[in-house]
Amino acid sequence: MKHVDSKAKKYGMVIDLDKCTGCGTCMVACMAENNVPFKKDETDKRLSITWMRVFKLTNGKPYPDNEICYLPRPCQHCEGQHTGHSPCVSVCPATATDYDSETGIVSQIYTRCFGCRYCMGACPYHARYFNWWDPVWPGEMEKYLNPDVSPRMRGVVEKCSFCYHRAQLAMEKAHVEGRKELKEKEYQTACTQACPAGAIVFGDLNNPEHEVHQVAQPDPHHHGRPKNPNAFRLLERLGTNTKVYYLSSREWVRRAGDNYLDSEGSASHE
Amino acid sequence: MSHSSDPVSPEGNESPAATSDTESKDGAVIILFFIIGLAASMVVGWVVFPTLLYSKKYQPVSFNHTLHVKEVENGCQSCHFLRKDGTFSGIPTLNSCKSCHESVQGETEEEARFVSQYVDRNREVPWLIYSRQPDCVFFSHAAHIVTAKMDCVTCHGHIGESDRSPVYEVNRITGYSRNIWGKSIAGIKHNSWDRMKMDDCSACHVRENVRQTSVQTEKGGCFVCHK
Amino acid sequence: MKVDRRSFLAFGVGGAAGTALSPLPWKLTDDLSIWSQRWPWVPIPKDGEIRYETSTCTLCPGGCGIAVRMIGERPVKIEGRKDHPVNQGGVCLRGAAGLQYLYGPSRVRTPLKRVGKRGQGQWARISWEAALSELAGKLKALRNDGHPEGLACITGKDRGTVAALLKRFMTAFGTPNYFGPATSTHALETAVRTMTGQEGPVGFDLEHSDLVLSFGSGLLDGWGSPVRVFKAVSHRIERHAEVIQVDSRMSNTAARADRWIAINPGTEGVLALGMAHVIIAKSLYNQQFINQFAAGFDAFKKIVMADFTPDAVAGITGAAPGVIAELAEKFSQAKRPVALCGRGRGMVPGALSESMAVVALNALVGGINQDGGLRLLPDPAYISWPEPVMDPVALKGNQAPRLDGAGDHPVFSPATPNRFFDQLRENAARTPAILMVAEANPLYTLRDTQAVEKTLKQIPYLVSFSSFMDETARQADLILPNHMFLERFEDVPSPAGFSRPFIGLSRPVVAASYNTRHIGDTLIDLARRLKGSIAAAFRWTNYETCLKETLGRKWDGMLKNGYWMNTAASPVSWNTLFKTRSGRFEFNGEDMAAPPWKSIHVAAAGDSSAFPLVFVPYDSIRLASGSVGNAPFMTKTVPDTVLIKEEIVVEINRETAGRYHLAEGKKATLATPRGQVTVRVHLSDRIMPGLVAMPTGLGHTAYDDFLAGKGVNVNQLIGPAKDPLSGYDAAWGIRAKITKA
Repeated sequence: MKHVDSKAKKYGMVIDLDKCTGCGTCMVACMAENNVPFKKDETDKRLSITWMRVFKLTNGKPYPDNEICYLPRPCQHCEGQHTGHSPCVSVCPATATDYDSETGIVSQIYTRCFGCRYCMGACPYHARYFNWWDPVWPGEMEKYLNPDVSPRMRGVVEKCSFCYHRAQLAMEKAHVEGRKELKEKEYQTACTQACPAGAIVFGDLNNPEHEVHQVAQPDPHHHGRPKNPNAFRLLERLGTNTKVYYLSSREWVRRAGDNYLDSEGSASHE
Repeated sequence: MSHSSDPVSPEGNESPAATSDTESKDGAVIILFFIIGLAASMVVGWVVFPTLLYSKKYQPVSFNHTLHVKEVENGCQSCHFLRKDGTFSGIPTLNSCKSCHESVQGETEEEARFVSQYVDRNREVPWLIYSRQPDCVFFSHAAHIVTAKMDCVTCHGHIGESDRSPVYEVNRITGYSRNIWGKSIAGIKHNSWDRMKMDDCSACHVRENVRQTSVQTEKGGCFVCHK
Repeated sequence: MKVDRRSFLAFGVGGAAGTALSPLPWKLTDDLSIWSQRWPWVPIPKDGEIRYETSTCTLCPGGCGIAVRMIGERPVKIEGRKDHPVNQGGVCLRGAAGLQYLYGPSRVRTPLKRVGKRGQGQWARISWEAALSELAGKLKALRNDGHPEGLACITGKDRGTVAALLKRFMTAFGTPNYFGPATSTHALETAVRTMTGQEGPVGFDLEHSDLVLSFGSGLLDGWGSPVRVFKAVSHRIERHAEVIQVDSRMSNTAARADRWIAINPGTEGVLALGMAHVIIAKSLYNQQFINQFAAGFDAFKKIVMADFTPDAVAGITGAAPGVIAELAEKFSQAKRPVALCGRGRGMVPGALSESMAVVALNALVGGINQDGGLRLLPDPAYISWPEPVMDPVALKGNQAPRLDGAGDHPVFSPATPNRFFDQLRENAARTPAILMVAEANPLYTLRDTQAVEKTLKQIPYLVSFSSFMDETARQADLILPNHMFLERFEDVPSPAGFSRPFIGLSRPVVAASYNTRHIGDTLIDLARRLKGSIAAAFRWTNYETCLKETLGRKWDGMLKNGYWMNTAASPVSWNTLFKTRSGRFEFNGEDMAAPPWKSIHVAAAGDSSAFPLVFVPYDSIRLASGSVGNAPFMTKTVPDTVLIKEEIVVEINRETAGRYHLAEGKKATLATPRGQVTVRVHLSDRIMPGLVAMPTGLGHTAYDDFLAGKGVNVNQLIGPAKDPLSGYDAAWGIRAKITKA
């Protein structure tokens, strides 16, 4: 942590729930990009590996006043109350998951993981998934696997990496061009790129010129809490200090984002 | 150790001298056996084990780097170059070879075989890669060559001065090339290119202070070298 | 020297010390730990140079531009093309899962000949030569018997050169029995044709509209060109435009719309006419357009004023009279309003008069060929081959009555597969000797699946050109597998609903993975084998030269850009737009026996006392309901409120469920006049009372283990209902009952 070549980045995301259509393209783009396996039956959602998952929130009101809102949930890349005190990183006994103070990304190294699943228990967002089975690519689907992301094996935990391999590839280009910094749109996650509604914005939350910073307006004095009144983070009160911000013009949606006690509101999710 | 079962236990009436003589003789035998054991296991550990651990493979075509380096204009980068997008081309594909070897150029048997077996049949050569890392490793040649201004020899040694392909030794347990651990079975390293393990990457990164940003280890961040 | 125990131990200790001093334990530990991380059966994807190949996706009629990321010769991911005018960088989940189709287990990898019983799935792999000579032999025999009309063909596409080649083949061969797809696009185009005299695709300028009024069109459920529509809907926020969704269930579109108007299913056309009533009554219509460019307005006005009063419309639709008036006012006062039709994804047509009502509504506010409105696009008409010369056998065959019994109406002579099967059921003597199925899967997509299957089995010889082992291919006698879209050239004209004249080009980004052939090449080869006038009609050496020749001067540009677009063309003005005999917009359509408005409401079939509920299928972007089913990644995104293990979940209003004592997630028996299935129920607060809604796209019996056997095909439960005006299938739903299982 001594070496600061340039200002440390804090890669993060803003997802505009007013724009999200719930189509699920982000989920599929993520699976295709990251060699996520699939099984014959994926209806048991606890066993279904989805680094990015679209949840459906409802305001819980009866017909015809019911409303819904889709909420895409990647790994939230929590920073915690001090750098890197993420729920998962702080419990990993294998140093398989780590927090990088240069990028703010929570990494997961599959070959290092021995599958204790402590991190899954610690994660308040259910963003981590365990490989109960070896992945199988039927037919000749192995042919489409992306060499930039290593396929996982049975017995390890996996999760969203903010497509960090894309930053690695972008950096390679920067190196040959003699740059040490990436441009804003040079490194984008697969979900951001694919979203047909343009609901996801990705960039460096520390960089005031980046759209994510301008939209979310993170408050450095309050662990990045958004100053934009329409923005919120999931389970803000846990102090996880996440890097995924959500925007909604609807109050019940914003409330649902931090609603983790039944007694605190009527919003529920399905 | 129980005395009752000891075959040389002083149950009889041996004289003390005899006893001490036997003891010293015994001691020598013990030391001898100790040394035999030590020597044998050293031989096993240092000689037999490495022979058993590695199996030998040969490149499909023996490649003469010395000759090629002379022929090309731009040294290593003539064939092993960075692409425009910054990714590293690695071992040239048949197409690059073809630009010269469409037909036999020289007089060597190896080249003739290369042309008849691969060029004529349009088959890629299944080269064995001495420096192949596990799939979970991300290595940026661009970062090292361009930004850090390192030369090829630092990691790859003097392969460019070889006139035939070295034997490819593959670790029977891990499946990786011996070049990763290094020739020395003890892992002793004299030159920077002798080993290519994670610790070697890390040592250099610590020394050069490259993104020592891991919260867990306070050393290099995982996603610097892993994918 | 005696080797005793002590010396043996010394040897052991020495050995241990020596081992510790040797690299063995340390190296072994290190190697074993690496070994423990190495799972040799976990694939290591091959690395290589990254490049992008562009093409056009043909998985749906959307015609999006795609950029396929290649590693060497291997495609690894499909992304949206940023510089493509249709989708501008986005992609939908189906396109993103496209490579799963390419390499999936359900690909037909070589020509197959049936050896077991029909549908048993026992095949002999045969060569192309053997397959084509067998089919050519059968076809020759038909002609030798003097009955070429015994050949019929069902295709899922009716635009572009592939469809044109198929049609040409049928004509040259001597049969009129060519059945194109029937979708709402066709209903809309027929409506536009009869009202404006314009042939050609219909577009909607959603990007510039300030009020999009959708009559059940699933803008966010796959309607039109999905990515383009998604963008238009999402970016309306910045444009301060509004989307109003008319739907009986809160679809994704309704959920994200600014306003959801719940009306009884199947009454969208009635609501449109109710709005027309208010607009006319309050003189809110575009005076200039009505006075100078419209005909038949008085007759239209008379019917609308008499039969579609807000009260009457409220009675049928369930929307309050005040809401109807408010909608009408809002629509007519918007600057650039547009009304859309085509339920859900728009793959099932409805009553023709429904489409006409929506076009009339657009016309009332002068929203035709205006910014943000409905656009009549000139037909790109680039396929201008000389008519095939028919020999006497072909001439005679083409005179034979069509197997679907359709007449020769000047406006619409619908050649629809549903009518074809209806006719076959009624009169087995009409059974064709050979049926060819191309890019269609009638056994899955047509209403009343069981009946279609029974009828299909009557046909002596069934040929499929499918790339996948779908329901219809599985019943075939011969499969001549087509290349998959990433392996072939094809023109993709007029993306659904796109508002500019446009032709996309699909091109091979990867060499054919299996022993498949382009359907165009198969047809050219077949024609050659049939010799004479048929061969003469197919003089091209192969499909690629045919396509190149057809596109002529457009070809080079299309190869370079991946598409052709007429950017210069501005919408034709009202003065010269209408090609009707009157030269004006015909409110009641041209060549109609009577104004079409009486048949606008097609009621759900079934007895309301035995079947008190109404069953409505709904489309979702996550489930492909067309001829090609879901890729595994898509099915993975399906929520557990739609599918639990193999069981489909139907949506029912919480209150209605209470009446039938149904509880969340519990099993129930759902019956319609056409069939009965076991389902699970999901109690919903987002659907009108009295309805049972079921997602389309499930219930496949073919394809692979990742799709087959999951859920229920809605078409099992619905029978076709014929629109009296057009002959199109107008079955938007059916009556149903549900009981606790």
